[in-house]
Amino acid sequence: MSAFRRCLRSPRVVIGGALVLAVAVAALLAPWIAPHDPQEQDLLNTLLPPAWAAGGDPAYPLGTDQLGRCVLSRLLFGARIALYVAVLAASGAMLLGTALALLAGTLGGRTDALIGRAIDVWMAFPPVILALILLVGLGAGVHKVILAIIVVDWTRFCRIVRSEVMVVVRRDYVAAARLLGFGRMRVLWREVLPAVLPLVITVMALEMGIAVVVEAIMSFVGLSVEASVPAWGVMIADARQAMFLMPWGVVFPVLGIFVTVLGFNLLGDGLRRALDNRLIVSREVVGGRA
Amino acid sequence: MARLALVLLARRLALAVPILFAVSALVFVVLRLLPADPIAMSLPPGASEADMAQLRRDFGLDRSLPEQYAIWVGRMLAGEFGTSIHFRRGVAELVAHALPATLELIALGLLFGILAGVGGGLLLFALRGTPGEHALDVGTSLLLAIPEFLWAILLVLLFGVLLQAMPFMGRLDPALTLPPAVTGFLLLDALIAGDPAAFASALRHLLLPAAALAIGLAPLVMRVLRASLQEAIHEDYIAMARLRGLPEHRVLLVHALKNAALPTISLIGVQAGFMFGGTVLVEVIFAYPGLGNLMVDAVRNQDLPVIQAVALIYCVLVLCLNALVDVLYMLVNPRLRPA
Repeated sequence: MSAFRRCLRSPRVVIGGALVLAVAVAALLAPWIAPHDPQEQDLLNTLLPPAWAAGGDPAYPLGTDQLGRCVLSRLLFGARIALYVAVLAASGAMLLGTALALLAGTLGGRTDALIGRAIDVWMAFPPVILALILLVGLGAGVHKVILAIIVVDWTRFCRIVRSEVMVVVRRDYVAAARLLGFGRMRVLWREVLPAVLPLVITVMALEMGIAVVVEAIMSFVGLSVEASVPAWGVMIADARQAMFLMPWGVVFPVLGIFVTVLGFNLLGDGLRRALDNRLIVSREVVGGRA
Repeated sequence: MARLALVLLARRLALAVPILFAVSALVFVVLRLLPADPIAMSLPPGASEADMAQLRRDFGLDRSLPEQYAIWVGRMLAGEFGTSIHFRRGVAELVAHALPATLELIALGLLFGILAGVGGGLLLFALRGTPGEHALDVGTSLLLAIPEFLWAILLVLLFGVLLQAMPFMGRLDPALTLPPAVTGFLLLDALIAGDPAAFASALRHLLLPAAALAIGLAPLVMRVLRASLQEAIHEDYIAMARLRGLPEHRVLLVHALKNAALPTISLIGVQAGFMFGGTVLVEVIFAYPGLGNLMVDAVRNQDLPVIQAVALIYCVLVLCLNALVDVLYMLVNPRLRPA
């Protein structure tokens, strides 16, 4: 069975993919489907509850915040920032981490030792603390947050991929390729990289969920987007101030993060199960029970 | 056994020393990238150039970078953490108040997480192959998609705002007086002072933030424990125990659990390190006066001496914890002990 079909038969991949797709479509179409401008203030209608609750206004389906801004519109535009950071930060961390892992795993020796030491140093930091001091050094902003996530989380890829590379380079077909006279780069590119790619894709999906959370934390603390930009973390920080008057305001952005992270987690988990060679072997021997 | 543990721990901690130096250099270099001038920000507008130069000298910011690093490391080793630019108080004093608060929170969070995780793992295993296991699996996936700081907000919303059942600000009811600080750990200090009201209030203030931390840990413990129980249950000694006629719960709790504990311990060690990161935002949300709150305040005010010191303390905590877990692992698993 092809890897692609195996993925499509996994309920985790299908549900996770559907959730991520839904968030992505909402983010892409935000300017057309949002009922209001996310910054537009309606000071006569502040802190409205959702439309279905008593006192709600159908013009504001999910209610308004303390400045009378439409929660639904801000939620939709917030998805753009969340996914923007998720895609760029996870791709950056993947490229850096995987490149270093391939170098460490194939060159070995001093390169490997150096990269291993760097990982040890990075692992001594709680990730949030390292991201915080990077943002103090770099200054606040979405792109700084993306850079900080790359600099903090490359180790996640590097650690996992490096140990896989070490297994792969000892396989017979890699030795055969070397014996045929293929150069180092060619073996790396044509034989090793394809073998570790399923793992990279899996970690990538999980990393996107992590990036969404980190961006929310940093915009909650005020180190990411400017305070006026509708990011989910900013919405939570704003709604927290008015929690006693309007509890709903906190619930929706939390729900946004929940759905997105759940989507990425299910996708990553499902891909791991569908693409992991060892699991595939045992499952196909046992007869289809996962 | 105790001597062996100490020797192992000392050996393991010695390995962490070079890492700590590298960590301190990294912290130092990153913070010197800073585009803004913390001195200019900390003085009132209209301060003269001479005042700024004086203050810069006071904080040692007029020297070259390697010099500043050497001075800083030397002072940290001597136990001098410097003075906070923003709070205008000694960093050591600020940390001495905040550190026990964070450790107390972590300890309770770990305790809850481990209890719930081990209980849940046993339950998952007992329910294996039934629809109950599947439901519990789906439930844990849902729990894991919400990070600690969002649990903190949801718990505040549910128990603090809507039910008004639990306190969610600070460490103690403002109507009570703080017990005299002996250890800095509020629960212990209240016990020492023989003040049950303060103890109860401190505990109630810890419950929600500790629960927010525990919810992130428990599902992971559950999954790993179930996986290792599933492996252990096929071993010969389990079959032996069953043949000897031991009741199933004894086979599970005594024989299988002991051998399934290893991966769980190493998971808890790794996750406890992450939990230090999790406390940062949880403390901010519960206005809990620990290291995380101090760190975020310092970051917002670009208070370099505090940021440097607190970042390093987090790293020291993580490195110590890792060493402790490794030693524990070696003690539980004699096969790993060095000769």
